[in-house]
Amino acid sequence: MTGAVSTAKPRKQNRDRGFLTGAAITLTFIAFAFVSLFWTPYDVAALDIGAQFSAPSPSYWFGTNHLGRDVLSMIMVGAQTSIAVAFLAVGIGLVIGVPLGLCAAAFGGVVDEALMRSGDLIFAFPAIILAILITAIFGATATNAIVAIGIFNIPVFARLTRGAAMPLWTTGYVMAARTAGKNRFAISAEHIFPNLAHLLIVQTTIQFSLAILAEAGLAYVGLGAQPPTPSWGRMLAESQTMVSFAPWLVLFPGLAIFTFVLGLNLVGDGLRHRLDPRRERGL
Amino acid sequence: MARRQTSLFACCLRAAVALVAGLCVMASPANAAGALNVGVQLEPPNLDPTSGAAAAIDEIVYANIFEGLTRITEDGAAAPALATDWTISADGRVYEFKLRRGVRFHDGSDFDADDVVFTLDRARSATSTNAQRPIFEQIETVTAIDPFTVRITLKQPLGAFPVYLGWGDAVIVSRESAATNASHPIGTGPFKFQRWRKGASVTLVRNDDYWGTRPPLDQINFIFIPDPTAAFAALMAGDVDGFPNYPAAENLALIERDQRFQIVFGAGEGEMLVAINNAKPPFDDIRVRRALNHAIDKQAVIDAGLFGYGTPLGSHFSPHHPAYIDLSNRYIYDPVKARRLLSLAGVGDDFALTLTLPPPAYARRGGEIVAAQLEAVGIDVTVRNLEWAQWLDQVFSNKSYDLTIVSHTEPLDIDIYARDNYYFQYKNEGFNHVIDELRETSDTAQRNQLYGKAQRILANDAVNVWIASSPKIAVWSRDVSGVWADAPLQANDFTKADIANRAPVLAVNAMKPAFPVFAIWLIAATIGAAAVYFSRASPAFLLSRLAGMAATLAAASGVIFLLIEVAPGDPAAFMMGLNADPASIAALKAELGLDQPALVRYFTWIGGLASGDFGVSYTYRVPVADLIAERFWVSLPLALLAFLISTAIGIAAGVMAAALRGRPGGRAIITAAQAGVAVPNFWLAILLVLVFAVGLRWFSAGGFPGWDAGVLSGLKALFLPAIALALPQAAILTQIMRTSMLDVMDNDYIRTARAKGLSQSQVLRRHALRNAMIPVLTILGLQFGFLLAGSIIVENVFYLPGLGRLVFQSIVQRDLIVVKSIVMVLVFIVILTSFFIDLAYGVVDPRLRRRGAS
Repeated sequence: MTGAVSTAKPRKQNRDRGFLTGAAITLTFIAFAFVSLFWTPYDVAALDIGAQFSAPSPSYWFGTNHLGRDVLSMIMVGAQTSIAVAFLAVGIGLVIGVPLGLCAAAFGGVVDEALMRSGDLIFAFPAIILAILITAIFGATATNAIVAIGIFNIPVFARLTRGAAMPLWTTGYVMAARTAGKNRFAISAEHIFPNLAHLLIVQTTIQFSLAILAEAGLAYVGLGAQPPTPSWGRMLAESQTMVSFAPWLVLFPGLAIFTFVLGLNLVGDGLRHRLDPRRERGL
Repeated sequence: MARRQTSLFACCLRAAVALVAGLCVMASPANAAGALNVGVQLEPPNLDPTSGAAAAIDEIVYANIFEGLTRITEDGAAAPALATDWTISADGRVYEFKLRRGVRFHDGSDFDADDVVFTLDRARSATSTNAQRPIFEQIETVTAIDPFTVRITLKQPLGAFPVYLGWGDAVIVSRESAATNASHPIGTGPFKFQRWRKGASVTLVRNDDYWGTRPPLDQINFIFIPDPTAAFAALMAGDVDGFPNYPAAENLALIERDQRFQIVFGAGEGEMLVAINNAKPPFDDIRVRRALNHAIDKQAVIDAGLFGYGTPLGSHFSPHHPAYIDLSNRYIYDPVKARRLLSLAGVGDDFALTLTLPPPAYARRGGEIVAAQLEAVGIDVTVRNLEWAQWLDQVFSNKSYDLTIVSHTEPLDIDIYARDNYYFQYKNEGFNHVIDELRETSDTAQRNQLYGKAQRILANDAVNVWIASSPKIAVWSRDVSGVWADAPLQANDFTKADIANRAPVLAVNAMKPAFPVFAIWLIAATIGAAAVYFSRASPAFLLSRLAGMAATLAAASGVIFLLIEVAPGDPAAFMMGLNADPASIAALKAELGLDQPALVRYFTWIGGLASGDFGVSYTYRVPVADLIAERFWVSLPLALLAFLISTAIGIAAGVMAAALRGRPGGRAIITAAQAGVAVPNFWLAILLVLVFAVGLRWFSAGGFPGWDAGVLSGLKALFLPAIALALPQAAILTQIMRTSMLDVMDNDYIRTARAKGLSQSQVLRRHALRNAMIPVLTILGLQFGFLLAGSIIVENVFYLPGLGRLVFQSIVQRDLIVVKSIVMVLVFIVILTSFFIDLAYGVVDPRLRRRGAS
């Protein structure tokens, strides 16, 4: 890792800057969502037809929509939806996928083969098609969006866990634990899992940002959270026809998705450099 | 140095602009004239108005392709058409129609009394799928007195019989072509059917053999644009000459200011209402229904839901009809009174209800206001948004709802309140009596009086909350003349329409693009054989991969079939539309084979897939394979184009970023890639349309002219969508390519190569790139599947008739056999791609040939 270009110091600074920017963005959005639980500049459920299509101004920073609702307030509440859906969907992936991956690595053979092939089966479906199928069949609700996105996170975490756990089973301390008579479950929990935690944290951040994008996409085609729950993807879909005279309606929700995902990715990159130095790459 | 780079960049930019401009000039628009390009919101499920109730069918074929004995004129009256005149017997039961002579069907056969007898007998037969079968069942006998006289005897007098005969459901079809009218309609009208590009357009051409006045237009293209945004964009981009029903009222102010367009407001038959489930407590209490009527401010709903375009209503009747009575002030907006009525009815503070909304914008937008207003009188409202199929299933068929918002567009349909088991679940013997009386009365003044009585009863009972009569808003180019302003029927009569500034009609290739499935197999097999040969993979490896592929396919087909099986919504009911008769639905179900057991249907489907027989689409009534093939030629080129763009940008930028590690250039690329990964592709698509189509007008805002319009115009239509799809993927690829390059460049052999005197670029090309491609290949394989399927959203923004759009439409229309097959095809492609990628590892890295890479 002693590259020909030795710029260790600025490199680290850059990376820190990226990580800190990302962390700041992510925390801002989480704070937005949290604050919006108690307070928003305007009530997102109230109608004010008189203030329809107000351009961004000191009283409405991001303007208002066709119902006179404040776009900033809706984006703040929309952050709740995005974060909740992504959190639960990635949670499904972690809670189911990681134990499956650990089992596959621990037992190998038929168990491993069966689990990995089921993963292949899920990967064989173009993600968006299956998500649309699920939400279209079982109804367009936030819950079904969570399930649809969550299903895809299961094999992601299962594969990652299995791949990283396999080599650990041949290490000395695992051998030692086995000769000491510990069973495979205990070893997975006590020795294998802690050594994977860093990988999982990095992957979780990445999957979280992907889930935000997926939720926005589903909401955009009308298959995510339903009105009156504000959602960034649906805000875009609803205001598309008005883009030519009220561009702020399309601009700000899109920017919200973009910025949040960017922030999460920056955090993910930063974490990877810190927690997974083997894959460190200078800037 | 810096200056040289700048000027080089400027040159590239200029070249790119020139190329784009060149494409624009060369790809002349497919706008043929003498041809009128008409935008319509909904694609009809088929083109036979006598076997389905979808209004979208009449919008295309009525008066243009098909004619009835009578026809409805712009003012709603019945006028002679294929019948020149008629007489009614004194008891009102026997009608004698004199038929027009010298009329020929589009297939050259002559029209005579036999066709009339055949049409009416077919409509009232036991196997009839006509949506208005109950009306035709009123006919006792139809007899041909001579070739040009027909006598119809009714079971009981039917005052409006000549009007019913003017409806689209009663158009005259010929015995020879009746069975194929769904996909290739043959009528007697001024225009002939030419071509239906599924998901895109229907083309009609002038019938030079027409008995009446020769229509001015040579050709009509009905272009399907379901999305209001896309409608606006298509209008601005000049892709269409107008919309008879413009779906995006919010843009009207903007269009009004544009010199290119005229807005035509006409009387519409749409009655928008908040329907109440009258049989479900507490809605069976008239005080609750009246409270709801007082709680809703109609004008506010009109302002926000219909953008101010609507007349408040107080009962179920069109304000344009002479029998209309204004009852809109029967229940004035009074939240206090509403609360009082609610507490009188004993539904107190914990009153909760569900407001179920179908997809149209007026329902969704209006629903938000209605919900807020009901909340304001202390009702706890849950809003539930449904697709049409689910709405038909849950609300219309199963009556499992509290309130819903919908627009009833059939003319003079107040009699639906007398129907047993209609979804309002309203019962009033007094009202039924008025409707019975109306059925037997033919005197206009008397009929109007009865209509008035019926309106008052409904208003008094507060059956529903009637919101507004929405006008028919048409937007046309200033060049267009002679189109209907009012819409007594949901139809667009273009007999007298004309367009100034005609351009020559483009020769449309009427040939159906045949796409034999064995060709796909052959192509796949050839590519596979080539790949196997060049990769020199071991037979054992090949066999294990092929077995894995087959197993995954089998498992996937099972999953898809099961998912579809449990899907709610009856496709047959959906196809028949709102007012269909249960017996007709059952007949259609048998016809589609939907009454078979599940296991039989599964194996029929799987067996068919392998042999290329994907079955017949429920909605389009054409082979699914043809349907998919048509869309495939849009989606595949789009995915390939996006793939090329993404790969080219991704690999170049990734290599560059690796080569420029630690320098400003490299850092800039990384930053751009980080940003690119975070951009949602549909947002990028909207922004691209806004800038390049609506603003600069370099590209059309969407749509696909078809490959027969020229390869260049086809590629041009795919360019913006491909960019929107490709850029986020290119960003991902850039990051992976860079990481992979850096991994490789840290190896000893690279350092050796540098040490022996090779230049940086030589090392990159000869040694690093090839090795760095291995992880990149995996991503490329994943990306191709993603691009093909992921286009579903982007195809919607640009209204491209691709596979993604087809699967989405099919889900909405409950055309499940199409959904199953498309998902299966996509899964097949994804699996096949990953197989090829495995083989490609061998080509790139000979070390992997024997064991492959898993």
